[in-house]
Amino acid sequence: MKKELDSSTATELAASMEGVSKSYKHFKLRSIDFSLEKGTVAGLIGPNGAGKSTTMRILMGLVQPDEGTVSALGKSISSSEASSKQDIGYFSDDMRLYKPESIGWHMQFVRSLYPSWDDGYAAQLLDRFGLIAHQIVKGLSHGQRVKAMLLLILARRPKLLILDEPTNGLDPVAKHEILTELMRIVEDDSRTILYSSHNTQDVEQISDSITFIDRGRVIASSNRDEFVERWKRIRIHAPDGWKTPSMEGLRLESSHRNLHVLSLSNFHEQVPNQLQQSGIVIEAVESMTLEEIFVSSVMRGREEIQS
Amino acid sequence: MNLQAIRILFLKDLFLSRRPLFAYFVAGMAASALVCVPNTTLTFIGFILVVTVAIAAGIHLIGTLMLSEFTDQTRLFVMSLPISLLDYSIGKISVVLTTYLIPWTSMFACLVIATYVLGKPGNVVVLPAIFLFLLCGFMLQLMTAVISESVGWTICVMVAGNVGLNVFMMKLFANAEVAATIKSDVLSWPLVILQIISVELLIIALALVAAFLFQTRQRDLV
Repeated sequence: MKKELDSSTATELAASMEGVSKSYKHFKLRSIDFSLEKGTVAGLIGPNGAGKSTTMRILMGLVQPDEGTVSALGKSISSSEASSKQDIGYFSDDMRLYKPESIGWHMQFVRSLYPSWDDGYAAQLLDRFGLIAHQIVKGLSHGQRVKAMLLLILARRPKLLILDEPTNGLDPVAKHEILTELMRIVEDDSRTILYSSHNTQDVEQISDSITFIDRGRVIASSNRDEFVERWKRIRIHAPDGWKTPSMEGLRLESSHRNLHVLSLSNFHEQVPNQLQQSGIVIEAVESMTLEEIFVSSVMRGREEIQS
Repeated sequence: MNLQAIRILFLKDLFLSRRPLFAYFVAGMAASALVCVPNTTLTFIGFILVVTVAIAAGIHLIGTLMLSEFTDQTRLFVMSLPISLLDYSIGKISVVLTTYLIPWTSMFACLVIATYVLGKPGNVVVLPAIFLFLLCGFMLQLMTAVISESVGWTICVMVAGNVGLNVFMMKLFANAEVAATIKSDVLSWPLVILQIISVELLIIALALVAAFLFQTRQRDLV
């Protein structure tokens, strides 16, 4: 994401992180550089424990980084500063509401802290999400709880939405309702969304740019379409004793006798010719799904660390 | 510091604790009324109930208002709102202290008035020492809850305070100067009581400062 967005100097950034590191006893977030262009939807994809939540909490000012600088909506982010949170809506799957109280009580509580709270929009969201204001939180299903929390965030009309796995554990209908609402929000060019998930399909649906994160490192970051254009799976037939040629971004995924499957992270027109020069026959060049690209990126990143 | 945010947080927590607060207030008043009954057994039972209500209210309110924010994961929700750590700390510590002081002050005032009205003015002098001891125990529990964020450690401090109270009362009533004052029909303040009260007030202040400083110096809010 950074690579792409840095090239566009005229664009306004909604958020950025530079050289951000954070150490815990069993986990380390390593020198994260990350930029989020205003009016876009950025997806953060990573396996469980990759550092998505920590990255988002640092961006929200909930966790103080050991190193690096963080800013959002033109303000420096710090855990001692509250004003920066006025225009940021944060959702986490770990977040809970007060069980004995109703959705309406929570709406009144949040409303009292936000001058930007939109009563009309809150009522619309209640209706769209099929929620009832006097429902007690304790009796809500997981999907209803997620929708109630999103209602509390969206009704204050934040300029930046940081959503940490909002569709985790939801049924397809609830997931559709939430993604539809997020797509409505994206229609407003001034609003920005950072969305994390380990489900590539959810992120692919709404994201303009995608960043892969694994074991506390950003391993790949690009525009969604560029990812799909640049990443290809190449099925080849190679003679005995053939070795994978040294080519940037090329990785041997699997082999069966003389049939090999390669993945390439920077495919271009000359690649088939270059490969054929090593004495192979190309059987097929196929597009990869975002999930396949994600898995391959993670495996490459882990191999690099091990080597 | 955002006074409006602190006020909203304070009122939110006061509302959330309304049921236990009401229950402890009523139980405290009932126990205090029992102390005033002119019957030695009922007075003794009433006094035990007063102490029990004070201890139970302390651990319950700390659990409901402070520790449950970690166990129920509501702190992440609150800290995602435009609230600074300073606002949160002032709001949280002040509401926990206020909610405890409501039944504590009611029971203390009730017993002081009743003891005086019942014509035992000498007995009044031990009440501030005992009630401040209970408040000390509560403040140490509060400090432990803030620092450890652990239900287990907070309960340990409560148990230690409970045991300490028994030893404290035994020593207090065994003191010759205090024993003489209790029997007296005239209200006077022995030096030992004033010294005890001074130490208790110092412990309360230190525990409050420690809890506040630790809370506001946290680097990570969740």
